[in-house]
Amino acid sequence: MAAPLYVTQSGRLFHAGLILIVTVGLPARGKTHISRALERYLRWLGVKTRVYSLGDYRRKVLGGAKNVPPDYFQTKSPRSEATNALRRRIKNEIEDQIMDFYTVQGGQVVIYDANNGNVKNRKDCYQKFESKGVHVIFLESICDQEEIITANIRSVKLSSPDYAGWDAERAVADYWSRIRDQEQVYDTVTADEGPFIKVMNVGERIEVNRIEGYLQTRCCFFLMNIHTKPRTIYFARSGQSLIEHSYKADSDLSPAGWEYAERMKAAVVARRKALREEKRANGEPMTNENPLLIWTSARRRAYHTAWPFVHAGFKVVQKPIMSEINPGVWDGLSTGEAMDLYPDEWDRFLSDPYAHRAPRAESYHDLSVRLEPVIFELERCQDDLLIIGHASVIRCLLAYLVGLPPNEVPAVEIARGDLVEVTPASYGVISRAFHFWSGEGRGDASGENLYENFAESTSGKGSVLPDSGVNFAADAFNMEKEAQEEQNTSKQKLAKSIGKGNKSLLARLNSQSNGNTDGTKSAPHLPPFQENADEEEGRLIKSPGSEINYSSGNEEVLSEGELQDEPQGEGKEGGSLRARAMSILEI
Amino acid sequence: MSMPPPPPPNKGKSPQLTPSAPSTSSKSPTLSPPSARSPRTKPLPMTGITPPSQPDQQSQSGSVGPKHVDPEVLADAVSKLDMIRSAPAPMSQVNSPAVTPGASGASSPKLFGIPGGAQAPGGLERLPSHDGKQSVPGTPHFGAQTDLLRTLDESTRVLRQTSKAPSRAPSVSGIGTVVEKPDYSEAKIVVAMVGLPARGKSYLSNKLMRYLRWLEYNVDVFNVGQLRRSKARAAMQTGGGKVDHSATYFSHSNAEASKIREQLANESLESLISWLKKEGNVGIMDATNSTRDRREWIRHRVAQEPNLQLMFLESFCDDPVVIAANVALKASSGDPDYAGMSREDAERDFRKRIEQYESVYQTITEPDISYCRILNVGQRVTINRIQSYLQSRVAFYLMNLHLKPRSIYLSRHGESMYNVEGKIGGDSDLSPRGFEYAKALPALVRDNIGDGPLEVWTSTLQRTQQTGSYLPFEKKTWKSLDELDAGVCDGMTYEEIEEKYPEDYESRDEDKFNYRYRGGESYRDVVVRLEPVIMELERQENILIIAHQAILRCLYAYFHGKTQEELPYIKIPLHTLIKISPRAYGCHEERYPLPIAAVDTHRPKPKGKKGATPSIGAPPAAEEGEGDKNEAKEEFESDPNAARDYFGDKAGKGLGVKPESVSRILEQKVQTGDMAPTAQHESHKE
Repeated sequence: MAAPLYVTQSGRLFHAGLILIVTVGLPARGKTHISRALERYLRWLGVKTRVYSLGDYRRKVLGGAKNVPPDYFQTKSPRSEATNALRRRIKNEIEDQIMDFYTVQGGQVVIYDANNGNVKNRKDCYQKFESKGVHVIFLESICDQEEIITANIRSVKLSSPDYAGWDAERAVADYWSRIRDQEQVYDTVTADEGPFIKVMNVGERIEVNRIEGYLQTRCCFFLMNIHTKPRTIYFARSGQSLIEHSYKADSDLSPAGWEYAERMKAAVVARRKALREEKRANGEPMTNENPLLIWTSARRRAYHTAWPFVHAGFKVVQKPIMSEINPGVWDGLSTGEAMDLYPDEWDRFLSDPYAHRAPRAESYHDLSVRLEPVIFELERCQDDLLIIGHASVIRCLLAYLVGLPPNEVPAVEIARGDLVEVTPASYGVISRAFHFWSGEGRGDASGENLYENFAESTSGKGSVLPDSGVNFAADAFNMEKEAQEEQNTSKQKLAKSIGKGNKSLLARLNSQSNGNTDGTKSAPHLPPFQENADEEEGRLIKSPGSEINYSSGNEEVLSEGELQDEPQGEGKEGGSLRARAMSILEI
Repeated sequence: MSMPPPPPPNKGKSPQLTPSAPSTSSKSPTLSPPSARSPRTKPLPMTGITPPSQPDQQSQSGSVGPKHVDPEVLADAVSKLDMIRSAPAPMSQVNSPAVTPGASGASSPKLFGIPGGAQAPGGLERLPSHDGKQSVPGTPHFGAQTDLLRTLDESTRVLRQTSKAPSRAPSVSGIGTVVEKPDYSEAKIVVAMVGLPARGKSYLSNKLMRYLRWLEYNVDVFNVGQLRRSKARAAMQTGGGKVDHSATYFSHSNAEASKIREQLANESLESLISWLKKEGNVGIMDATNSTRDRREWIRHRVAQEPNLQLMFLESFCDDPVVIAANVALKASSGDPDYAGMSREDAERDFRKRIEQYESVYQTITEPDISYCRILNVGQRVTINRIQSYLQSRVAFYLMNLHLKPRSIYLSRHGESMYNVEGKIGGDSDLSPRGFEYAKALPALVRDNIGDGPLEVWTSTLQRTQQTGSYLPFEKKTWKSLDELDAGVCDGMTYEEIEEKYPEDYESRDEDKFNYRYRGGESYRDVVVRLEPVIMELERQENILIIAHQAILRCLYAYFHGKTQEELPYIKIPLHTLIKISPRAYGCHEERYPLPIAAVDTHRPKPKGKKGATPSIGAPPAAEEGEGDKNEAKEEFESDPNAARDYFGDKAGKGLGVKPESVSRILEQKVQTGDMAPTAQHESHKE
């Protein structure tokens, strides 16, 4: 039951057996970039994958450049016997480690990141591993544009420990001479060597030879779609819906959810503006602004959260495969009910929240497999992207981008009101989170939609919040302010378009927006419940006590603006209901 | 990973929204004091909700009052919403046969474990009561069986009526809606084929067309050869005599013919472009385009049109076996170019034609154009400057194709208990007759495939796994093969749905392909989710897929190029094995109905208003074998894609299907007692 797609008895996925991907290419051809990207993708698929870098290993063994024998990279004249022995030793050791990864650690795919520019060495390697039942594929990275190579040297190689303390220009020149040396003896991979994938200028051209097998062709498709054009990907959750805890009800946004949608649009627009300013300040070359594309699931609350964008004329694409994780028979159950009704399932779910599939439900692994086409399209997409999704979907996608191991996927925290910004960088991504909203439904649904929000119980674990030294609170505050300005300008526009006839409306708008400002100023400080959450066992279930704390804490913050239009009579229950009904009329 | 601690049980309350559920049983809802309520339960300031960019005409009056809605009604709606939010999961009244102890093992929930604290909230009398002897929750919380869903819709509707926000997105109600087709208008791609004759260009174009059409792109093939032939035919009919299309016509020293051929190619490209501009998404130009000049000319022409992308697709083949097979196919397939010629002469002439092209052929090496070059059908693939996701998917699809002969077997699961009861969805076990089918399946498959290799794919649902359980082959379980999710209607019968939601029920019949069940899926959603399965299926060899009606309809439609209108009504009867063998121009199909009775779950498209509902006891094949065979024959007799279409006007004749002998063999087996067709329910051991 709990078996994810394609598990074989060996525990290896996709019936693919053991695979060794041997990178081939001159230095600074983006081999490491490609290796890391591929590793991230395969790991996310649940395949046990590891990159073994010969360069890293050499540095680990020998230390910095000063410890490397002068003829270590020499190709024109024969190297000294001692150096050759050293090279052999290092190579054999890393290959032993690779075998160890397969046999002892239960690994499935190894990406062997080295130059491997010699046809004879490749043949040896091929035979060595094929004889042990490992399927070998060569992955050659070719680049014929000097500017790409030089850019690569500057961005990656200069920070290498090999060049610690070197002058930049001298290091670039040294590296180029190393490349020129190797070019002399470099053999490109040919068809009779075996299966290969050749990637030219990071995806511009791809050549594929005799690639068979599910996983291998997936790798090709993946490599076909990656690119290095700068862009930014944003993630935000959909707004609160009327019925949070049911998958099937597919209910519409609640009033708070509609408000959230507006706030999010303002926040995204403001953040994109701020990012541009940041780039300008850093002296990065300014190009035309990347257009923003929005993807949502086909669920109503997600699409409706994008409604303000739809109105503003942005392109919003609904993707049915981005629906939240299907809770199966657990739909609509609270944690307690699920535990009572399905005790065995519940235990198994707890023991493996990534792979366990409750009856008729999806496991996170199922979700990952379902989302795979989204990953490809996301990689291919060159525009900026805003993904308005459900917590489970965002978890999976973020885990992929950030490179988290599968078993941490269910524990990624993503609360309503957080805007996560992901910028692909050379060996991974930079992610930052901003907070733009703390109304009803933030960190919510705790205990209601237990499956979707399972991870909310693990405060702090697998969090993607930045530890990059970004001043979170300040960022959030700025963004709030900008969002506020944004709103005010739109309000002015609105006021103009309505004409001078209606002063009262404008007055109302202003008075409410003031109230709102008071409320939102508290945003940079995390709402009280989050602080409580750290002290408690988890956030999935809240004790009534913490609930009251949360409520009263927020009430203070919001009271001024909120109470203005409230009719009195809250003492009586019926009255309060009526009051609420009256205020709903104003929506 | 360190495990999060198991959360303590929640006593069925949702703390966020209703801190204390009403404890009184009176019908007038009582709410807890507002201080305990999350403050934001109150509606938020107008600024947040009214899109600022949208002038709101209605609110110009500035009045706060309701338009037409009585505040009492509204209050009632609000209270109902609160009830729903805090309602504990109502147990279904449906006695689910799905969980028969033993079969579902540990996944079956505790039967009597309903927590005592879960009492129905007041105010919603129609909620099913819990009497402690409930069946398991076969249908979850918001299924359309209970009135909870309707209550939710009503209360939301009242709220919406009072809302003065300008145009909002359509709201939720009922059990589903027809979903609009996604916007593909941005995809405008010219795919220009490159390759010598007999290199499988038309095969690739046809495959690609079928794949993309299945994904709802508007695709057409513009075949220069067809244009030439239909012109020649027209000329012949108007008395112009037979036009010479022998190899001399294709000689590059024949200046006059070269000019004509160029003209034809231009004409073909022009009609492709104007079609793309009007309505098309992908236009495939099926011609040799064998020289660099030619390709440069196409590139130049397409570049004049804004928003059109161009991609060359070269099929290069140096495997003499493949070429010989293609030549033989061409010579023997009734190509009108060779009408009246002997087969040998035709082949000789065709080979000469190829030589004419070979003398000037230039394979693609241009670095600046976007192309996909395929060597020996997928052995080696080069992809250059792919621009969009659709293009990369096309390239990936072509990479996965192969020409090895193989068959794909499709079978539904054996009859399930839900089938017997006429219910949709669920995860029920097989019926006794279903198990009968599961046991008969291995023999049928063996008869067919011999010792050949076979892989069995099932869904994750019990009924397909049980059906496959007797098959001695390697099995894979695919989540994406699970049945179309009927959302809130899961576990209901069509009659029930019709009774409770007659309007929705009708609108599903109007556009079944696009109808998405609330909380569930549409056929289109299923197609999207099956796309990776198709990719994998193209790569594989012999596969037996044991899946569900809607899933098999989608897969079947892919192989036979059925339209989106036809797709949801394709007949996939129970207890029938369908064998699909891909051929050069379409798929060959055979059906083997097993003589084991089963209900008929097919609902034809209603002609008038009422559709046929599933009926129990449709004629079993063994007893009325004659009638059944006729019906089956009629159904897949002429497949327009099965034969090569030389004139572009479906002139080809279907391959036809010989009724196989297997059902007769089975009948014999029945007679000799090897197999018992049981029409009655028998309690089944194990």
